[in-house]
Amino acid sequence: MNGKGLLRLIAIAVLVLPLGGCWNSRELNELAVVSGIGMDLVPETDEYRVTFQLVNPSSTSTSTSPGSGKPAVVVVSATDKTMFGALRRASKHVTRQLFFAHTQLIVLGEPLARDGINDIFDIFERSHELRLNSEILVARGSDAASVMKLLTPVESLPALGLVKKAQNTSSVWGENRPISVFDVIHGITGEGDLTINAVKINGDAEEGKKKSNLEGSETLTETVMSGLGVFRQGKLIYWMKDSEARGTEWLLNQIEETVLDIDADDKKESVAVNIIYSRTEVKTTIENGLPVFHVTIAEEGSVNETDSFVDLSKREDIMKLEQELEKKTRAEVMQAFHKGQQLESDIFNFGNELKRTNPQEWAALDGDWGRIFAEGKLDLKIKAYIRSTGMSLKPYIPEGK
Amino acid sequence: MENINSPVSPKLEDNISTIQARLGNSPDLVIRTYELINRTARVAAIYIAGITDRVMVDDYISHVMSFQALNDHARLAVTPEEVYSYIKENALSIGKEKLVTDINGLLEALLSGDTVILVNGVGGGISGSTCGGEARPVSEAATQVAIRGSKESFTETISTNIALVRKIIKNPDLWTETMKLGDVTHTDITIMYIRGIADEETIQAFKDKLQEIKVDMILESGYIEQIVEDNKYSPFPTMFNTERPDSVAGNLLDGRIAIFVDGTPFVLIAPTTFFMFFHTVEDYYQRYDISSLIRMLRFVCLVISMYGPAIFVAALNFHQEMIPTPLLINLASQREGVPFPAFVEAVLMEVTFEIIREAGVRMPSPIGQTVSIIGGLVLGTAAVQAGIVSPAMVIVVSLTGISSFATPAFNMALSIRMLRFIIMAIAAFMGLYGIAIFTIMLIAHLCSLRSLGVPYMTPIGPFVPGNLKDTFIRSPQSFTRLRKRLVNNSKRSSASPAGKRAAGRKSDER
Repeated sequence: MNGKGLLRLIAIAVLVLPLGGCWNSRELNELAVVSGIGMDLVPETDEYRVTFQLVNPSSTSTSTSPGSGKPAVVVVSATDKTMFGALRRASKHVTRQLFFAHTQLIVLGEPLARDGINDIFDIFERSHELRLNSEILVARGSDAASVMKLLTPVESLPALGLVKKAQNTSSVWGENRPISVFDVIHGITGEGDLTINAVKINGDAEEGKKKSNLEGSETLTETVMSGLGVFRQGKLIYWMKDSEARGTEWLLNQIEETVLDIDADDKKESVAVNIIYSRTEVKTTIENGLPVFHVTIAEEGSVNETDSFVDLSKREDIMKLEQELEKKTRAEVMQAFHKGQQLESDIFNFGNELKRTNPQEWAALDGDWGRIFAEGKLDLKIKAYIRSTGMSLKPYIPEGK
Repeated sequence: MENINSPVSPKLEDNISTIQARLGNSPDLVIRTYELINRTARVAAIYIAGITDRVMVDDYISHVMSFQALNDHARLAVTPEEVYSYIKENALSIGKEKLVTDINGLLEALLSGDTVILVNGVGGGISGSTCGGEARPVSEAATQVAIRGSKESFTETISTNIALVRKIIKNPDLWTETMKLGDVTHTDITIMYIRGIADEETIQAFKDKLQEIKVDMILESGYIEQIVEDNKYSPFPTMFNTERPDSVAGNLLDGRIAIFVDGTPFVLIAPTTFFMFFHTVEDYYQRYDISSLIRMLRFVCLVISMYGPAIFVAALNFHQEMIPTPLLINLASQREGVPFPAFVEAVLMEVTFEIIREAGVRMPSPIGQTVSIIGGLVLGTAAVQAGIVSPAMVIVVSLTGISSFATPAFNMALSIRMLRFIIMAIAAFMGLYGIAIFTIMLIAHLCSLRSLGVPYMTPIGPFVPGNLKDTFIRSPQSFTRLRKRLVNNSKRSSASPAGKRAAGRKSDER
């Protein structure tokens, strides 16, 4: 390169640089980071009320100036016929532009869920800022706004706290699974129906907004994960909880880890087995015009506690426990399956599986899948193994006491 | 003017007055005349005090003059011609002697530290090399320190420097060629290479290039570097310099040429590739696994020192979604109340850092440390507490600054320092998109560079797979290969000559 070349290069750089023109350059302190969005239906209208939980950076614990005692989040709401309208209408309430790329959580209010959610997710796909991997929850027994306004202990950002709560219980208890906006859109567009994790407010929602709620060692108002909301045709119809919810996750192959209390010889539900591995395989066939779902569950667990005497040093006793484990699992799965059939709602992804493996037969069944599903049969095989008994064999309780 | 070259006159007085006139009656010019053989022969010894070795001069003169005593008995010489030829043949105490016939040659010999003997009645002089004078002894390398390895470093005396390399490579094929450059300074330049390993064409092309140089002065090897460079507008240095004899030796064995310049301890090495700037001699002295990791660390540091603040500014201004949420909130809370945009903040800190660094370099060393401590710690902390910059920015800028010190070659580190500001500005305009475009342009530019005809990016572009063993990592084989080449002295057994051959000599066509 010679001097001329350099001049040319500089000229090109000078011309090209302003073309970008920093059109979307935004400073961090001109942004209002939205950590959570709550969506509700305004009663007796078809307008949405969208509630935003905004991060208040100056009062987070990392701030250089001490956090002035203000809560870490600010909640604002706006009402419009469309989601996007509401997003922009919120500018009336906030000093900074809303920034959605870090939205961790979407909460749907129960009235909205009952009214139908099929048509509200377009903006999540279309917008370059909103994320498809935000967690989604449905508020049980309240609107989304009250959930958004609730402050959480330990976590400074309530939305983040709720996401962590959902993920935490999903990974160790198994009644929930991480469900993102993407999964919901997948569920809406796929065959069959869907479930969304439910969250419930325990206590007085008004008290929960105040910081005083966090000042005691016990938080009087708190959010609790509460099973699954079952949606049929995009409308909330039923709340599943406890073993029903866990049975559903089992059929969906979403159990990461969970705990089953199984029966010992002399005491009911006295042996706690920690399931550390579980795989569910589903095959679907059509027999006599009705679907049969062949489900094989392989699970492995370890005995983490026995409150009655079980001689864990004996192979026979362990095998007895394995049978119990299988029985217990079967009961939960069957309970969930029957509930699904009763609701005529295929929340177990069987429809998609059938369509994928057997598209011709599916063509005949489409259209009335809900009813046909309800008449289908579950062919359930469970293989349960106990792999470990923790750090000891025999319990210290003597036999027969 | 009287600067016209003329032959040495047979008359001694004329010569002396010419020399005195030409040197402006300089007081350090010493002229001692002797009358020999019963005053029939007048002889003068001329030298310049200070650049000659006093002992050698005395020895030389006394040896020459001892002729008087011998002559008294043997009557060896009577006429001036006989005196002249006797001195010529018997001035034994001096290693190097030559005859000068013109005034310019005589002056040149004088100014190089020679002692010249003139005999009245003879149109010629005998110059004996007595050069010496004050010189800094060989000491420890100040700029390229190695924990392990030779502690010797070059000095300002070219003969010492050449000797230091010769002491390492005891091989008759280690050839040197000397020339004088600079119309005013007449600086000694020596190029050194190993015949059979270095590429003949490259050597010849380089010598031609040196001979074309028409400048008044060569004060440092940097002059040569800048004159010879193929691409003067590139921000990247295309010649490597070192003050370590072992580094020179290693590069000679790789088939490179070393250029010694009198008066500077920094020896140039060419042809140079980009990756050479990130290698040190110590890489070969330490075990290969450690060396490889350290090399990779240097390349990581290169990326940090070039892109650190740019990526930070881009992420903060354009790609907030790229930052993990907790970190974003953390950064947002830090930036709350900072009055400047991120780019201004970054430039402010970077410039401050550069000021501190520059001040620290020029300061006497005890004060230099104080400057860096006051600058780095106090200013940084105070700026954060005053809320003018965010703590994260201080971290990024300090990390960048420290990373730039990890580049072993100072001239490369300087280039990267300069580019950092450009990339930062581009990042502030166009975010990561701009950084990507600039990087593509930069890589294209690097690939277009050549150093004495060898592509700068060898062995990446052109791709020489064999050389990769000694580029980003230092494989254990690279060591044995080096041995092998030294033993059988075969041409082109590995390393850079392969790339050289592939590249040809395209630089001359440009």
